[in-house]
Amino acid sequence: MLRYTVSRLLQAVLVILVMSLLLFMLIGLMPGDPVENMLEGNPSLTPDTMAQMRALYGLDQPVYVRYGHWLYSALHGDLGYSSVYFRPVLEVLGPAIVQTAKLLVATEIISIPLAMLLGALAARRPGGWTDSLISLFAFASISLPGFWTSLILIIVFSVKLGWLPASGTPLMGDASLSEQIVHMILPVTVLTFFHVGPLVRYVRASMIETLNSDFVRTARAKGLSESAVIIRHALRNALIPMVTVLALGFGSLFSGALVVETIFGMLGMGKIIYDAVSNIDFNLALVGLLLATIVTLLSSLLADLAYAWLDPRIVLK
Amino acid sequence: MQHAEQLVAGARTVASATSPSPLLDVRDLTVTFPGAAGPVQIVRGLNYSIARGETLGIVGESGCGKTMTSLALLGLVSGGGKVDGTIDFNGSNLVSFSQRQWQQLRGRDIAMIFQEPMTAMNPVMPVGRQIGEVLIKHQKLSRRQAEKRAVELLASVGIPSPARRAQDYPHQLSGGMRQRAMIAMALACRPRLLIADEPTTALDVTIQAQILDLMLTLQDEAKMSIQFISHNLAVVSEVAHSIMVMYAGKAVEYAPSDDLFANPLHPYTQGLIATLPDPDKQVKRLYVIPGRVTSGITVGCRFASRCPRADEGCRRTEPEFVEVAPGHHVACHKVGS
Ligand SMILES: Nc1ncnc2c1ncn2[C@@H]1O[C@H](COP(=O)(O)OP(=O)(O)OP(=O)(O)O)[C@@H](O)[C@H]1O
Ligand code: SF4
Ligand SMILES: [Mg+2]
Repeated sequence: MLRYTVSRLLQAVLVILVMSLLLFMLIGLMPGDPVENMLEGNPSLTPDTMAQMRALYGLDQPVYVRYGHWLYSALHGDLGYSSVYFRPVLEVLGPAIVQTAKLLVATEIISIPLAMLLGALAARRPGGWTDSLISLFAFASISLPGFWTSLILIIVFSVKLGWLPASGTPLMGDASLSEQIVHMILPVTVLTFFHVGPLVRYVRASMIETLNSDFVRTARAKGLSESAVIIRHALRNALIPMVTVLALGFGSLFSGALVVETIFGMLGMGKIIYDAVSNIDFNLALVGLLLATIVTLLSSLLADLAYAWLDPRIVLK
Repeated sequence: MQHAEQLVAGARTVASATSPSPLLDVRDLTVTFPGAAGPVQIVRGLNYSIARGETLGIVGESGCGKTMTSLALLGLVSGGGKVDGTIDFNGSNLVSFSQRQWQQLRGRDIAMIFQEPMTAMNPVMPVGRQIGEVLIKHQKLSRRQAEKRAVELLASVGIPSPARRAQDYPHQLSGGMRQRAMIAMALACRPRLLIADEPTTALDVTIQAQILDLMLTLQDEAKMSIQFISHNLAVVSEVAHSIMVMYAGKAVEYAPSDDLFANPLHPYTQGLIATLPDPDKQVKRLYVIPGRVTSGITVGCRFASRCPRADEGCRRTEPEFVEVAPGHHVACHKVGS
């Protein structure tokens, strides 16, 4: 298991290197010139000064030389300067990573058990009224757009009732933990609602299939109660296919987080990458997109480890 | 029928024909499923009983309802199936049992060895825990006691290094080992009735013999009754005191083992006995009953399309299941009166 993890991590490093080169070239192809962008509207701009600027930033060099320079500095901890935020890239990304991670982790921590509970309840009697109610909920979750639920919740809980803040982050930088949590309630609720619907449907389908399998019949034949059958025998087996669904659903969760962060005015990864790309902030976009790659790689590694943990038939080699 | 006589010699005889009341007495057992064209009776009007310490063999080809009959005895018919009739077990009628009563009964009084050793165990739970579970439920053992007892049970069914095997997951055991573990699980609480659904079909011949031996030894030790299911009449003849032959959901012949082999009356039973390989001949004579089960027919004898003796009367009216000799029941127009 340890050997497997280490070799997977080494592979990941390789993938990240290749990705960084690809992203480096792709971002370089984006329309728009960074120097023009920077000096836009400057009356003293001559073709001469622009050429000087280009030389200064190394933009006149071939791409592999530029990549080599970038990689060298990156490996020495210097990821460059953001041209939109006028601060070092890491300083911009650090708080955004924390912000987004908080939102995603809180959402997963609530969504997974909730989906298991609702899915299992629905699967107990397919077609019964609990199932219908839960299916309706899942259907609403899948079809209502995230921005719509966000606005409704803001109108009800912030504007009308005044119970919860409409922004996702406190104004003061040094807000207390409880204050931060209160600000997170609405964004996490919206994202959970957005995320949990498909999960519920998968758990339900997987549970129904598992509850019809031979070994569940064996468990019932032992005289176990229905709840023992579900919790001890069916749930873990039903969860095995869920691992893939969770790993694949991570991308959609991330894009959901972008919407939520925008509406609740949170400076998260989604917002940063969006700003960086639309303003051709080369350094920031590159590192932001690389981070997204790393997260994807890690989540697929995590999924494989979770498989091995849930299913003893799987041996990682 | 010289071969049949050899089988008679090996057949077990009904020990106590005058025993007070049987352990299990099934009357008019019917299992109905909703179908596209109205309700379908998968099992129809079964009547049989099993005395204490004895074995009933149920024989019939694939799909005739053997497993369904067994599931009815455990209240495990699923998928919208409905059970009618009475199942008198040790004095109470199981058909009217509540979910709670079923849970008390299953695994403790009636246990089942399932047909598919490959899929009948939970793939993500160690074997020892799966056995221990039934002890925790019915004998109120602690988890540690149950694990210890599970190891003893695995040893008693002849599994080498049982302590290590108890920690293993089902996929780490061979087919034979898994079937032994299933037997250990079924016997954990010393049930009064063991249902063995094709317990040896998935195994190779030498292991088959070992498993049968094991079951019979344990039966003698515990005075347990067995409902033994197989589509293989030869295997059943080695273990059963009486045999019920089923065809398309119905019993067509039901008799003490030796009677059935000495004097098979139903054309289907005669066909089954004729298909048995003859050990005397070098070349195995494999006779196969021509045709296959026709489903959905509700008028006349269900075997008529394959029966060499069928006539118009057979196709029009369904034969009654009648006792033609003491303990020997047949459903065929051409037998009896
Ligand atoms: N849920 C269900 N709904 C409708 N019909 C069913 C259902 N389950 C099983 N059956 C039918 O019931 C019949 C009897 O099945 P059963 O499993 O009892 O046969 P069997 O005698 O045990 O056969 P085998 O030797 O193959 O195990 C089959 O024809 C099957 O198609
Ligand atoms: S009733 Fe007729 S068709 Fe049916 S088994 Fe007897 S002889 Fe054959
Ligand atoms: Mg069967």
